[in-house]
Amino acid sequence: MSYDTVVVGAGLAGLTAALRLSERRRRVLVVARGVGATHLAPATVEVLGYLGDNRVLSPAASLPALSNGHPYGHVSVDQVTTALAWFCAHTASLGYAGSLDENMLLPTPIGVPKPSAFAPRSMAGGDVRNGGRFVFVGLRGFKDFHPMLIADNLRHARLPQPIETRALELEPPASRMGDLSGRVIAGRFDTQNLADWLVGALDGRTDADERIGLPAVLGLRSGDAIWQDLEKRLQRRVFEVATLPPSLPGIRLYQALANALRVSGAHIVLGVRAVGTRAVGGRIEAVEVANATGTVTYPVTSVVLASGGFASGGLELDSFGTTRETVFDLPLIGLAETDRVRFAPHYFDAQPLATAGVATDDLLRPVDGSGNPVYENLHAAGAILGGATPWKEKSGTGISVVTGYAAAEAILAPAARPVPEAVG
Amino acid sequence: MATQNPSLSSLEAEVLVIGGGSTGVGVARDAALRGFSTILVERRDLADGTTGRFHGLLHSGGRYAVKDPSAARECIAENRILRVTAADCVEDTGGLFVSTPWDDPEYGDQFLQGCKATGVPAEEIPVGEALRREPRVNPDIRRAFLVPDAALDPWKLVWGCARSAEQHGARILPYHRVLDLDMDGERVVGAHVRSERSGEEFRIHATVVINAAGAWAGQIAELARCKVNVRAGMGLMIAMNHRLVHMCVNRCKRPADGDILLPLRTACVIGTTDVFVPDPDQTEIRQEDIDLLLDEGEKLVPGFRQARALHAWAGVRPLFEDTAKVAETRDVTRSHALLDHSSREGIAGFLTITGGKTTTFRLMAEAAVDAACEQLGGPRACRTAEVPLAGSGSHRLYQIGHRLAAREPAPQAEEIICECELITRSRLEDTIKERDTTSLDDLRRLLRLAMGPCQGGFCMYRAAGILHQGGHVDQAGANQTLLDFLEERWKGVHPILHGDQLRQARLDDWIFQGILDVEHLPA
Repeated sequence: MSYDTVVVGAGLAGLTAALRLSERRRRVLVVARGVGATHLAPATVEVLGYLGDNRVLSPAASLPALSNGHPYGHVSVDQVTTALAWFCAHTASLGYAGSLDENMLLPTPIGVPKPSAFAPRSMAGGDVRNGGRFVFVGLRGFKDFHPMLIADNLRHARLPQPIETRALELEPPASRMGDLSGRVIAGRFDTQNLADWLVGALDGRTDADERIGLPAVLGLRSGDAIWQDLEKRLQRRVFEVATLPPSLPGIRLYQALANALRVSGAHIVLGVRAVGTRAVGGRIEAVEVANATGTVTYPVTSVVLASGGFASGGLELDSFGTTRETVFDLPLIGLAETDRVRFAPHYFDAQPLATAGVATDDLLRPVDGSGNPVYENLHAAGAILGGATPWKEKSGTGISVVTGYAAAEAILAPAARPVPEAVG
Repeated sequence: MATQNPSLSSLEAEVLVIGGGSTGVGVARDAALRGFSTILVERRDLADGTTGRFHGLLHSGGRYAVKDPSAARECIAENRILRVTAADCVEDTGGLFVSTPWDDPEYGDQFLQGCKATGVPAEEIPVGEALRREPRVNPDIRRAFLVPDAALDPWKLVWGCARSAEQHGARILPYHRVLDLDMDGERVVGAHVRSERSGEEFRIHATVVINAAGAWAGQIAELARCKVNVRAGMGLMIAMNHRLVHMCVNRCKRPADGDILLPLRTACVIGTTDVFVPDPDQTEIRQEDIDLLLDEGEKLVPGFRQARALHAWAGVRPLFEDTAKVAETRDVTRSHALLDHSSREGIAGFLTITGGKTTTFRLMAEAAVDAACEQLGGPRACRTAEVPLAGSGSHRLYQIGHRLAAREPAPQAEEIICECELITRSRLEDTIKERDTTSLDDLRRLLRLAMGPCQGGFCMYRAAGILHQGGHVDQAGANQTLLDFLEERWKGVHPILHGDQLRQARLDDWIFQGILDVEHLPA
């Protein structure tokens, strides 16, 4: 089996790039050490939530404010719009709702309204922008969701419209599992009609104008259908709220993208590690992938590096203070200028390694210190890109989708893209 | 509670102990066991000072056998006592002294002689046998010696003492700061105290006040116009993920920096350094000390720098320097100092016990209460060498699998709030009630909550939610203790962040900043 493109990394960026390439008839192999951050993140698409201390109302209006050094600096707002429209269309089973023009405000599991541009429709009903009445419902025995804290914190949150909140806790039917994980509960929704119990347990306990917030555990295989069924039977707006990891909406998203990839003929291999390249004249000819028994060399015409940042192992800092990109040993930006990385003394301070990563040209090709591509056919996407502070600015999933898509576009039609005038 | 007029509120005791480290709770327990009415005050949480920040080694005495024979004798005697009376706090890991290629193998002969002279059981074993027991230890060691070192859980020890003292009528008051000592002429008659939680101020009248404030003893003594010169010797420790060693492994050489690596519960700890600091409350972790410990760790266990460093912290040893040049009449050993201020400065009713080490805390307490007896109407026999601590009644030594064993009969009985340290929801809820605390940092010390590999990434949200749900705090209180915890944790995490632990920390950032967005919590 031969491939046109090897994508390193099976997170949101890698899957997006792979699917875009695959649907355009490129033969794609995704290799990864394991599943990516989809399984942690809530599956909402945060394009841009904060600029400094200020909550962003409209990502479309605020994106141009980001400098050239930011991953978004390599794409136009039109490209962002195209990429996200493509993403929503290709995850139709999850029914992404939202817009680039105005962020939704979706409650986090501790009750902070988080600016998100898009969310699966099962979560979008939690948007508190327009105020209203909300009841958050917890499941006794499920430790990763605390409805009282959500309700109380939301009531104290800075919101454009008044909000009324309260919390309920329900006792799910007995299970031999006393330590319920989100996956276990989701499994019971899938197979044991937990929705029937939920409808009964909520009967008469909510008002018609109340929206019902549930932990995002409403099934894995058929989460969206269960959510639709609940809305119909409860005759209320129902929405899922993110939980601590693992993230069921995130796993659903992974499965939606992975299924689409399989249908389109791409291959995903997990449990392996891209360990190097064979390059000739600034061009990668082949990627070396280590598996349990040895190393396989895949000839390629292009490569997408979507291996993630420190959290996913795309970047590494050793005990002597040296940071490196783990697959191709690419040049990095955002490193401390001293010989030794020192983190800032306060947790919420700007941290020195927060923006570390690879710098790219406008075709998202990693560049060296002079701004020249390291390899003419290597593109990078997602959290490996330097210059962003995804957690602070709430931009991680947006960057992954947009740059994953843009990296694929650069591979598909490199000539059609304007030659960048300057690289920031 | 509203702030009350101090004159309206007061407590009375025969013995008032200032300081809630091992020495202080040891004194309180000793006094209570002898039948004295006893109150202990501590400005922060128990074991928040030196005791909770030491490496956790219950010395066999081997470390001091050459350099300080009297300390070695004390250590082995106390080691034997604590294995019985504080069994639940002691894991019988055993100790191993090894001569690495950086150590003079002939020191081993001095070491054996010193151990023999001081009664510390020590036995040389073949290097192959040592490596069989400790496969990760540097294969190039040249000699190896077994000693009865053990691992000591400082929080269990301090709380075991405190509860034991309470069972015998003592009142233990953490988060109570001494604002002033009350004097009646040349006699200390009590203390003016403020609750740091409620703000309430009140007086405690006492016949004898025992200053067990350790590195802070000088500050307390000053309140009675007494001079106690305690220098603070800062020592750095790093907890590493997993037990890289099974025994307490020491370098066989004169005691120096970074030469102890011991297993402690699910982690292991390397220590330590020794730097004088002017203020015991100002302990800055320096990069060069981190590097020193990592380099020394590498000598003991090759690959140490690739292992996950979980947390770094600094403790301060109280090092007593007697500049008063007053001849002591009491049997003061070189390792700790008992100061009777009536003979030193003419201030009656006031004793200071400082210096020493956690291993010998019981002995220090005994000496202090013996001295107090003289001001309380004559000698009463000390019972702390026989009576077990609360929780140690079965004399069953702690084993690493205890929590798991308790869970195993019904593994799915209830929620596990902290998977790293196997803490169940009911255990957490009981502790919140029993300790009457709403501080996640207090709960950490009591339960080892958040002390495992993820450093609270998962359990802190859960615990904050449980505190709030139980009505112990409002949302602002839950938010504040969570944010306080994150800030406090970061102090110990950021100096050693690298490798896989940086990945872990980034996952935690993902949770706290990405998923929860705690940075934008309402006040």
